[in-house]
Amino acid sequence: MMKARLTLLGGIAAILLAAAAGFYFLRPHTFHGTVLQSTDTAYDFTLHVAGDKTVKLSDFRGKLVVIYFGYTFCPDVCPATLGAVTQALRDLGTKADEVQVIMVSVDPERDTPEKLAEYVRHFNPTFIGGTNTPEEIARIASLYGIFYEVSQQTTGNGEYLIDHTATLMVIDRNGSMKLVFPFGVTGSEIAEDLKYMLR
Amino acid sequence: MNIKNILLRALYGFALLIVIGAFAFKIFQPIKVLPRIRLAPAFALTDQNGERVTNEDLRGKLILYTFSYTNCPAPCYDMAATMQEIQSRRDESNLGDIPLVLVTISFDPARDTPSALLSYAETLSANRPDWIFATTSDASLLKTIIGGGFEAYYEQKEDGSFAFTPTYILVDGWGVIRGEYRYSTEVSTADRIIRHLAVLADEAQNATGTAKLAYEAAHLFLCYAQ
Repeated sequence: MMKARLTLLGGIAAILLAAAAGFYFLRPHTFHGTVLQSTDTAYDFTLHVAGDKTVKLSDFRGKLVVIYFGYTFCPDVCPATLGAVTQALRDLGTKADEVQVIMVSVDPERDTPEKLAEYVRHFNPTFIGGTNTPEEIARIASLYGIFYEVSQQTTGNGEYLIDHTATLMVIDRNGSMKLVFPFGVTGSEIAEDLKYMLR
Repeated sequence: MNIKNILLRALYGFALLIVIGAFAFKIFQPIKVLPRIRLAPAFALTDQNGERVTNEDLRGKLILYTFSYTNCPAPCYDMAATMQEIQSRRDESNLGDIPLVLVTISFDPARDTPSALLSYAETLSANRPDWIFATTSDASLLKTIIGGGFEAYYEQKEDGSFAFTPTYILVDGWGVIRGEYRYSTEVSTADRIIRHLAVLADEAQNATGTAKLAYEAAHLFLCYAQ
């Protein structure tokens, strides 16, 4: 009798435990960025990078590509965002090999490919920084929803600033834009979403 | 019956419940959403008052875009009438505090100067900031914005008029395209857009905390409003 009661209690506990575990493991992943549904290929662009080379977005098909629009004179927003991405890649460990980070310059007048390479290297040596003609940068930025303009403000040493949309975008392995992070997203939040996309 | 069996049954039962729940959600669709299609393009245009308007100025608002030109010879597909109807019936969408902005982008910057756009806006009793008429003299960028970003076709013909596909694009406060209306359906375009505005407003007002999970499930199960 006692044994049967114990078995019953054990059974109830097991059901509750299974339900809790099931809910925890089967709950859908809640993304920290906005998920986009389009399966269309994101606009393929070419960037001039250090060493007189060019890279295209489509060169990285099969990897996740994190795209950020910024510039090397950027005093705070760009380093904060690229710092968060650096942290996220560190959190990913070996999985970080399946992620390519690309910074597109919104300052084609001042950012040379060499300058961009040196800038992104401070964050992570695998990051790519690239630029193009002002016309092509305007085109790429518009199609990626990035607004930018020369600001009225200047830095202490007289360099002008550029106001720009500070979102971060993730292109999936098939080349479709899947995720848009708002400014202020943390490294661990980026890492969680990237991990889920790489599962 | 031993504990192992009970545990297994409980697990099977729970898995079954999840599957039934998912099917029920998909079939009954208790929550409807609009897809997050893709990012709307960024732009800086000049409006009917000669002032600059950018996509960043419109962030946080619901925006309905259409693309046209003021010299469209009759019979011209009249998108302004649909825009006017949506503006006059905006209360039906229960938008609450969420601002709705209508934006007509002209693909004829040579003739649609700010003053031409202003006269046209006045004939429609359209006022900024509720209804913006804008364009840019940078023809290449205009093509990128309208043709590339909004995927709305237009092309100037030899006689100066334009061939174009009547298009309306609904964008949310995050700059994400949530509705594209390019073809006539049985239900009028205005009716569909008004209904879709209500769906967007509902999500913006209610998808917080735990309820956000239910809205995300609706996205996951493609429970899209018709």
